[in-house]
Amino acid sequence: MVNYKRFTLDNGLRVLVHEDKSTPLVAMNILYDVGSKDEDPSATGLAHLLEHHMYGGSLNIPEYDKPLQLAGGENNAYTSNDITNYYLTMPSENIETGFWLESDRMIELDFSQKNFDTQKNVVIEEFKQRYLNKPYGDAMLMLRSLAYKVHPYRWPTIGMDISHIENTDLEQVKRFFFSYYAPNNAILTLTGNITYDLAYRLSQKWFGPIDKRHILCRNLPSEPAQNEERVQTIEKDVPVTALYKAWHIGSRNSPDYYTLDLITDILSGGESGRLYNKLVRGKKLFSKINAYITSDIDPGLLIVHGKLMKGIKKEHAEDSLNEVIKSLQNPSGIKNDMKKVKNKFESSTVFSNTSILNKANNLSFNELLGNPNLINQEVNLYRKVNPDMVIEACRRYFIPSNCSTLYYKSTRIDK
Amino acid sequence: MINNFRRIQPPVFPVEKVVIPETLSIRLNNGIPVYVIEAGTEEIMRLEFIFRAGQIMENLPLLASTSNMMLSEGSENYSSEEINRAVDYYGAFFNLSVKRDRAGLVFFLLNKHIKKILELSHEILFHPVFPEAELYSLMKKRLRWFLVNREKVQNLASDVFFESIFGMDHPYGHQVIEQDFEMITRALIYDFHSKYYTIDNMTVIVSGKLNKKTIELLNFYFGGLTVNKTSNESTGNLLKGSEIKNVHVNKKGKIQSAVRIGSPTINKRHPDYPGLKILDSILGGYFGSRLMKNIREDKGYTYGISSSVSSLDLTGYKVISTEVSKENCQKTIDEIYKEIRLLQRIPVEKEEMNVVRNYISGEMIRMFDGPFALAESFKSVWEFGLDNTYYNRLAEKIKTIDQDEIIELARTYYNIDELYQVTVGSK
Repeated sequence: MVNYKRFTLDNGLRVLVHEDKSTPLVAMNILYDVGSKDEDPSATGLAHLLEHHMYGGSLNIPEYDKPLQLAGGENNAYTSNDITNYYLTMPSENIETGFWLESDRMIELDFSQKNFDTQKNVVIEEFKQRYLNKPYGDAMLMLRSLAYKVHPYRWPTIGMDISHIENTDLEQVKRFFFSYYAPNNAILTLTGNITYDLAYRLSQKWFGPIDKRHILCRNLPSEPAQNEERVQTIEKDVPVTALYKAWHIGSRNSPDYYTLDLITDILSGGESGRLYNKLVRGKKLFSKINAYITSDIDPGLLIVHGKLMKGIKKEHAEDSLNEVIKSLQNPSGIKNDMKKVKNKFESSTVFSNTSILNKANNLSFNELLGNPNLINQEVNLYRKVNPDMVIEACRRYFIPSNCSTLYYKSTRIDK
Repeated sequence: MINNFRRIQPPVFPVEKVVIPETLSIRLNNGIPVYVIEAGTEEIMRLEFIFRAGQIMENLPLLASTSNMMLSEGSENYSSEEINRAVDYYGAFFNLSVKRDRAGLVFFLLNKHIKKILELSHEILFHPVFPEAELYSLMKKRLRWFLVNREKVQNLASDVFFESIFGMDHPYGHQVIEQDFEMITRALIYDFHSKYYTIDNMTVIVSGKLNKKTIELLNFYFGGLTVNKTSNESTGNLLKGSEIKNVHVNKKGKIQSAVRIGSPTINKRHPDYPGLKILDSILGGYFGSRLMKNIREDKGYTYGISSSVSSLDLTGYKVISTEVSKENCQKTIDEIYKEIRLLQRIPVEKEEMNVVRNYISGEMIRMFDGPFALAESFKSVWEFGLDNTYYNRLAEKIKTIDQDEIIELARTYYNIDELYQVTVGSK
């Protein structure tokens, strides 16, 4: 049980506090309700570029990292399609430095041209390192734009194209910051060795005086239902052929979210997953195979991807994959698998909640979804999934007209 | 006026000295050493079985790693699928792992399933049957993974780097090639297992919320096994770095190059090691390090650059790693040497010393936070015949090290003429 208390400052900042005295550390998480989905389609990658700019000093503090390290702290951040999330851990006696740093960069950044130019280069190198210079690094970029035609999930957080980052100017980053970074668009969570009273006092002191800002109203185009199968083939100089498939599913808050999560766990939760057993260990068609849901807030995807073994025809591999998916609708055997993945979900939750950082992260995200107590309810929601719900979800989502397939073919002769 | 109080950092308190819980050392009835670390508030545990069965013991590439990976591919009483299914069913997680010196098995489990997991561990470790079919398919899979990994400039650069500094004939350095995947047979695995996965070659580290029962159960499943003498012969090959200190591997079509610069160095047993760790942090060991500040935060040449010092049984090594666009590759390399020279000549400013002292002190708290971190930290000194007093020495060194000592260490351990330089990418 993760106990927490919650309050809201006058300026709209929501604060959650969970006390855990078993650690000498405090974790601080600040979630901004803005992600790459809020970007202009002609200037993508902005949310993530701004995340980098956040480390270049703020209104009153010339450097972010040095004072943090001086206080024994460590931090990081990530941007997703939905959110931008910053977190740090600190020895509890120095946590006020965290409040000081995070509140100041919520007010305003040091928008220096030099910092902007450097971070632009860093992000361009990140784009190359993670997406272009690695075999299959761009596969997910292609799969997204195949599956989504309208919704901004069609581009990845790094940006649709490297030229978008190259063409961004400082003014755009500035405008993006003032449109979305504000107490009334953020969630602050503190976990670990901190009392509620101290968290309350420090939140008031450092975040209380920050003014509310007008937040741009989110008005995203919804993705129309897909009604025909989509297939794309790409040929590249990679060592083996890979197969990617994506089916549209509902939003994070939709009732069958946990059913779909459970389905992907049955398919590929570890080495006892069905896909691994049947297609890697059994038929030896793939060297690796994986299935998961994207867990996006807006309607997301269920993705299966694998790398083929040498000499295996992609049609054969794909038919066999579809058979395994079909087998989910067969009630015999499903009960045992369900019991197994439910136990595993429960223990994963126990392990995850031993980390104050995970707890801070999850509490923040659940608050954004509208229910922080999800952190304590998820195991039950997952346990409630029954075989009928699995069959129903399979019938609804695993249909060819709802699917996008990417063949990432190797051009090598000896493949 | 609201901004005035925002200009000054709130008071920073020196990080309290970390309290490291005692590690209890006991022996099972047949002498197996067990290290017990009681910590944590949840009913969970980390259970690790360690053998001196790492790459150092292999006389053929892939032998140690394949022997380790085959442990869970079927035993006398369970098929591979059954082992994995049972582990999942009991909500446990396990990792088989092989490093250069040691290999083993780690379980993370809910305390209530301890019996089942001990029974499974016993099967996996001491009754594997290494089915021929599973071995054949594992080697085919591993070859595919290998081919994909070799396409990544950073993997290739690391392989070439270790071959350069340790030599192609030593297990620390030899590079795997495609043909190696055809050489491993069931007989070789069987032989490797019977030599090195033995009772007198085994150590257990258990951490979590434990009780008396834990040790009783360990005794029940492992304390009655008979000891047979292990042959502890390692390959006998000598560590011998290559004569060529500067290697470029051409990989066409790559838009970034991977860079590795480093050399063999002292390991944890050496009294200078804590000081070297601190020097390494200043150079490239954390986000505020010189290399990050210069090459990422000032010049924007790379997404990341870091340096690290690592310990092995026979030696240690230090390495600086980065990936940069090919246009900036040489400039980056020049800057790396420049930063090393600066550390050898110019005293580190007080302020920077303070930052790095406090940063590492904070890191040390994280290293001992919770039962899993505690076990990892203990293991990484135990492996060198040391104990947690190593961390006291490190803490002391953090407090007392001064600018002169940093210069001295930089001159002794970062002799530029001794550094190897590996680049992989297109020219």
